[in-house]
Amino acid sequence: MTPILTFNNVSVFRDGKPILKNVNFIVNKGEIHAILGPNGAGKSTLANLVMGTNGFSSPDEGEIIFKDKLLNNLSISERAKLGITMAWQDPARFEGITVEDYLNLCSKGKKSPAEALKLVGLDENYLLRFLDDTLSGGGRKRIELACVLVCSPELAVLDEPDSGIDFPSMEDIARLIKILKENGSTVLMITHREEIAEIADRATLLCDGKVVQTGSPEEVGKKFKNMCVVCKVKNPELVGGK
Amino acid sequence: MGNLEEIKSLFTQIGIPSQLFKTGGVNLLVDRNRVVVRYPAPGVRSEVEETETGVRTKIYVEPGTKLEKPVTLCFGAISSVEIQTTENEIVVGEGASVKFVVYGAMVENISLKHKNELKIRVKKGAHFEYLDFHHCGERTLVELETKTTAIVEESAYFRSLFKQNRGRTGNARITIEATALKNAVVELETKLIGKEDDKLYVKDVIKLEGENSRGLSKSRIVAMDRTKAEFIGETYGFAPYCRGHIDCSEVVRGEGVEVKAIPIVVVNHPTAKITHEASIGSIDKKQLETLMARGLSEEEAVEVIVKGLLR
Repeated sequence: MTPILTFNNVSVFRDGKPILKNVNFIVNKGEIHAILGPNGAGKSTLANLVMGTNGFSSPDEGEIIFKDKLLNNLSISERAKLGITMAWQDPARFEGITVEDYLNLCSKGKKSPAEALKLVGLDENYLLRFLDDTLSGGGRKRIELACVLVCSPELAVLDEPDSGIDFPSMEDIARLIKILKENGSTVLMITHREEIAEIADRATLLCDGKVVQTGSPEEVGKKFKNMCVVCKVKNPELVGGK
Repeated sequence: MGNLEEIKSLFTQIGIPSQLFKTGGVNLLVDRNRVVVRYPAPGVRSEVEETETGVRTKIYVEPGTKLEKPVTLCFGAISSVEIQTTENEIVVGEGASVKFVVYGAMVENISLKHKNELKIRVKKGAHFEYLDFHHCGERTLVELETKTTAIVEESAYFRSLFKQNRGRTGNARITIEATALKNAVVELETKLIGKEDDKLYVKDVIKLEGENSRGLSKSRIVAMDRTKAEFIGETYGFAPYCRGHIDCSEVVRGEGVEVKAIPIVVVNHPTAKITHEASIGSIDKKQLETLMARGLSEEEAVEVIVKGLLR
């Protein structure tokens, strides 16, 4: 197993309060790695730290390493050029930019936008539509995933890829994530649903900013289901964390 | 005065489509005050008069005329002049359906004041689009003043678009006032980008005077560097069940930018409804980050977003 992404003692504070506390975990090259945790666990902060977005260009403590390169303080564009991209939980809307333009930004004609749309369950009529408010939330979300697919990243960070997607369509999303893996991408998938985490090769449970457990999706999902879901107190010690 | 080849060369350099210079590609081409090309469009009558400083035109679209191909006009200048004036009157006959594509072409390295007065009447049941694209050079110094008044009769549709397609906008004052009668629909749209010390002033006035009339005023302005931009959107709901909306979005990028948006909404009928939305601010951070996460630099991402906004 070759590590592609390493979090070493990563801590993040906002307004003096810790959001991530001494986080350590490794994502191996070629795997689907789920970060599972309840709302407010720090999952999206973790995703932003990898991409350098939303003001999280560097942790306050620790280091994030992608292959052999330290990501701390690199710009978003620099990280993208290293082979990282991200799909947002609530993707941005753009006026006057068609779906086709958007998908071509990344693929630069190498991968077919129509094919990518098909894989996320949308027909090619969507290519001419604008990425604005006329798209439904679910439609916009699928296009975001199609965009990641045409980008062929080395590491795809998917922040809650299942949110806003109706239950019967979950299979489309799961299939797409597997295709990403088959195409050679490593996937870091953020989710708060253990049934989505089940498609991962490994999972890490995050609670109250701390890593509770890394292991198989079954083990981690079980722990999440039995303890986190019912946990009303923001205290990782309750679920056996450090 | 240039010949057609010289005009073609200079105009295409600022992005005017070269198809205009093919036979039938343009219905009227004017260089300052000289008519260079005139080509008839079926069902369209025109009177064109050269004046000391520009041209005066009257264009009549015969009732019931339906044209697939747009009527294309081009008013430009290939050398500096103090002033160019165009006075145009367009009457679209009952039940007609036409689109006018109009190019303003002010070539590179010239300076001029362009004053345009346009009167439009869209008769009962007609469908009329007036798309006005301005092309300038990056070093063209233009002072533009354009005033349009339109009356849109019963069940007629009128759409106006003013867009700076290329080069510096300069100092621009764009005023359009449209009156919608019963069941008529009016859509006014402006898309401008200001750079360096440009001054942009846009005023849309929609008077919904007819029962069940509809009006939309939409503006997209990108103000960069030290641009001063002001948008005034006035919509008056004077009739039963009329509906109007003002949608203004101004994006600022530059330390010295000064931008205003002033919506004025007046209703004097209990069943009329007018709404407005306005936003002024820097480029959306999430949009920027999304594009940068696809490998674009910040400058490239800004360009993509601005292009989309002004599309």
